[in-house]
Order: sequence, then C-alpha cells, then structure tokens
Amino acid sequence: MVVHAVLLIAIPLLSAFLIPLIRKISKWFTISILTLNSIFSILVLFEVYNKGMIYEIIAFSPPVGIYLAIDNLSALLALIINVFGAINFVSTLKEKSFKFHMLYLLAIAGSTGIVITGDIFNMFVFFEITAVASYALVASKKSEKAVEGAIKYMILGSLGSTFILMGIALIYSQMKSLNIYDIANRISMMNENIKWISFAFLLTGIGVEAELFPLNGWVPDVYEGASSGIASLLSFGPSKAAIYAIARLLIVIFPSMHTYEIALWIGVATLLMGEIAAFMQTDAKRMLAYSSIGQMGLILIAFSLVSQGIRYSIPASFFLIVSHASAKSSLFLLSHKNKMGSALTKYGGITAVLSLIGMPPLAGFWGKWYLFLGAASEKLWLVIILIFFSGIIEAAYFARYLHRSIGEEKMEASYAYPMAVLSTFSLAFGLLPFIYKMANMHLLGGV
Amino acid sequence: MNGVIMASYFTVASLLSIGLYGVMTKRNLMKIFISLSIMDTGVNLMLITIGYLPGGTAPIENANFAKYVDPLPQALVLTAIVIGVSVTALALVLLIKYHSKKGTLEYKGGMKW
Repeated sequence: MVVHAVLLIAIPLLSAFLIPLIRKISKWFTISILTLNSIFSILVLFEVYNKGMIYEIIAFSPPVGIYLAIDNLSALLALIINVFGAINFVSTLKEKSFKFHMLYLLAIAGSTGIVITGDIFNMFVFFEITAVASYALVASKKSEKAVEGAIKYMILGSLGSTFILMGIALIYSQMKSLNIYDIANRISMMNENIKWISFAFLLTGIGVEAELFPLNGWVPDVYEGASSGIASLLSFGPSKAAIYAIARLLIVIFPSMHTYEIALWIGVATLLMGEIAAFMQTDAKRMLAYSSIGQMGLILIAFSLVSQGIRYSIPASFFLIVSHASAKSSLFLLSHKNKMGSALTKYGGITAVLSLIGMPPLAGFWGKWYLFLGAASEKLWLVIILIFFSGIIEAAYFARYLHRSIGEEKMEASYAYPMAVLSTFSLAFGLLPFIYKMANMHLLGGV
Repeated sequence: MNGVIMASYFTVASLLSIGLYGVMTKRNLMKIFISLSIMDTGVNLMLITIGYLPGGTAPIENANFAKYVDPLPQALVLTAIVIGVSVTALALVLLIKYHSKKGTLEYKGGMKW
C-alpha cells in the first residue's frame, strides 16, 4: 500500500483544529489519530526501505510547489516522533483539557513536518508550530517553575526563529529559491560572504531548538518545570527534529570542510558542557536534561564526520538518535516518581541507562561504535579521547542515579508501561538486522 | 544601489540592532518581548526589501505595467506576520501567569548550573 507522506503532517494538523468541535471525546479522538499516524509512519519507513528516497510534490512542480523529501533518517525520525508520541500519550491520559490534546497533536505534526519537508521556508513554519505548541505545553503544568521555564524557552526560541528567518531571507536574496535541493545544487553561485552569514544565522537559530552550546540555557529549566510526559515529548520530538534540520543544513545545503569543522567543535563543546554539568546536578530531572544536551552534542559530532567517515557517520547518527530518543524519554517518564519498585520499571530504567552508556547489543552501543570508527577514519584522536572521557562521566552519574532510584515504591501503571515499551525500542533497534541495513543506506541528500 | 533600497537596508540593520540590544540588556520581561517583536519587524522589512524592484508595481496582472515586484517574499512576510502575532499573544498570556505567581515582571534569576 502506498501512503502519501503528506498525510503524516496533514492528519494531525487538521484533526488538531477539529478538536474544539468535539471536546467531549477529544481524548479518544487524539488516541485514534496518533495510532493512525504511527501506522502511516511505519508504512512510509518500509517504502523508503524498499524504494530509497521519496520525493513528493503537492499542487505545483518544484521549485514553486510544496515539496517533501524523505530519506532514511527522516523516515526513521518520523517513525520515532509518531510512534513514541502515541506511546507517550498514555502517560498523559489524566489530562482532561481538550486544549492539551490539541497542543499535543500540533507538536507532533510540527516536528514531523520539520523532518520530512524539502522546503526551507516550510521548515521555518513547522519550527514555529512546534515551538509555539511546546511553549504552551510546558506552561500547562501551571507551577511557578513551569511558567518560568516556558518564558525562558520562549525568549530564546523566538530569538532563534527570527535568526532562522533572517538566514532564509539571505539565502532567498541570492538564490531566488526556497527548495533545499535546488539551493544545494546552485550553492556555489552564491556570494561567499552572504553564504557564511546565512549559515551562521541558520545554525544559531536552529541550534536553540537543538540544545547546542551555548544556546541551551533554557533546557534544564524547561525539563525541570514541565510535567514528565511533556519532558519526554520534548526529548524525542522537537529536539530530534531540530538536530535533523541541522544535518540537512550541514550536509545538504552547505557541505564544506569548514562547516563540518565548526559543527564538530560545537558538538564537542556541547558534549563536554552537558556531561560535566549533569555530573554536578542533585535534581534527577536537571541531571537528565544536561545529559540530553550532552547526547545532542554526540549526535552533532556524528553528523560532522560526514566528509571522510561517510560510511560510519550516518549509521552512527541513526543509532544515537534512536538510543537517545527511546532511553531519554523513558527516563523522563521514570523521573515522575523516580522510584524503580516493580520489575517492569527496573527493566525499563536499566535498559535505558545501559543504552545511553553504550553497552552492547543496545542501540547506544552501535551509535558509539560507528562514531569511534568515523572519528578514527578522520584521525581525530583528540575527539575520541574526549568522547571516552565524557562516556566515563556519564557512566558515573548514571550509576549514582540507578543506585538512588532503585527502591520499593511503585509507580502508577500509566507511567510504568509506556516507559518500559519506550526503552524496549533501544533494545529492538540494536538487535534487528534490517535496521542495520537501513542505517547503511546513504540517502541523506544523495551524498 | 537605489536610494530607497539603501534606506530600507539601513532601517533593517538598525531595527535588528535595537531589538538585539533590548533582548540582551533588559531585565523586564515585557521589554524583552517588545524587543523581540522589533527584531521580527526588522526581518520582515528585510524580506520585503529583497523582493522590491525600483519602479515595480504590485504583483497583480495589469496591462499598463511590465515591471512587478517579486510576490514570493510578500507571501512569506504575510506568514511571518501571522506567526509573530500568535507568538506575541502567547507571550502575553505567559506574562500574565508569571505576574500572578511572582507579582512582578522583572526577571531576577540568572543562569543556574
């Protein structure tokens, strides 16, 4: 069966605006839409697996019409966002407000849009949809910390989106086009100075959402303030979509040794800052937030190795994204009570932690394995040492975390089941052979 | 370069710098959000200026004119304005909530590690 990829965006977007009309059954409606969308995202993933890259054109032919471009990484990310979104929704079932359901669907639609669009302005629009929905979701907890976190997030987020728009304007002024692949083909015609300025604007703007150093001041406050279900949504949705947008920017639009080098060192700085700060935390949610920052740095390092280590770079980022999305969202759900009493929560928590540390055969191990191979093929010994060093810090604070949180108290079933299912993904993706084959398809912009 | 375009780019630069200065130096949250919308206006003006053609008319079919300004940036600006309005509305809601919790709009906290 052929599924049009545009449905992945259109269905949740339209149903989000239908929800005010059917307030009484909004919860069940949201559940069915999320389930439908997860099935579609699985079908799209299989289609990409069989056929390679999918291009989809709506209404007009490019460069005028709306244009979708789906490669292996974006199909995987669409799957993660939609399936995890559906599973994670179980933990927020207590929310009765129809506004919450509407915002949840908008956040899912927006993050899916960022990863599958092939048009740079649509990317900006989806960024805004995601960002506005997540500001409101963070503030929906109504505590003082949540509001403060949301305001911080909003100030940096709006500054970031202004920068993104500025970068897009500069690119448009030179290329008279917004289609990513059209721009990529003619990028050498662009004025060298304007090219660098627009790269800087776009990297800064998207870097706010992607939690890159030094634009991540909002991260700990937001994750600490937001309710556990929303913290989990933010860790697998918007931030992953944003890091993928950076990959498109880096690998498709501005491929050059200098941009890779800039991304590499920003990634290393983000990694070290995140892991060291996580080690110093006393609050579990803040620790997980800083650890998230560190993992985002790791993913950015994986993307930046693309010039020499192309054979390893894409698989590394693939597995790191899966591992981080599943493990971190599961740990954020666990942080609701932070007590691993039942066998189910123990299984979920320990699997997630082992995957983040990088134990075979979990997805996190394959991510770090390919990352080391890629860094070795570029002869970046210093980077390898720094990644090892940060891995040791990570193992230390996660050991402390496990030690403190294993206890007798039990969590509610609405948190325990989704977290166990979410961390099973890092086990499953580490074991399934077809995932390995898919990770090795080099589809990202035909590189 | 045409004088109108020069003046317009100059305005863009000053709007962006004023906005960025406000975001970075003010502690009052309302002033920060005002600065953000000033920056937004600057970027919108930038987009309009990119599409501007000296002597061009509105991009609507008209037998009397041959030169039209680029219509795409205008469509983009329209979208950007709508987004800006919704962000500002949400920001004001959050500020009301913040004020009802803290009794002030001054932001006291700093970066906490």
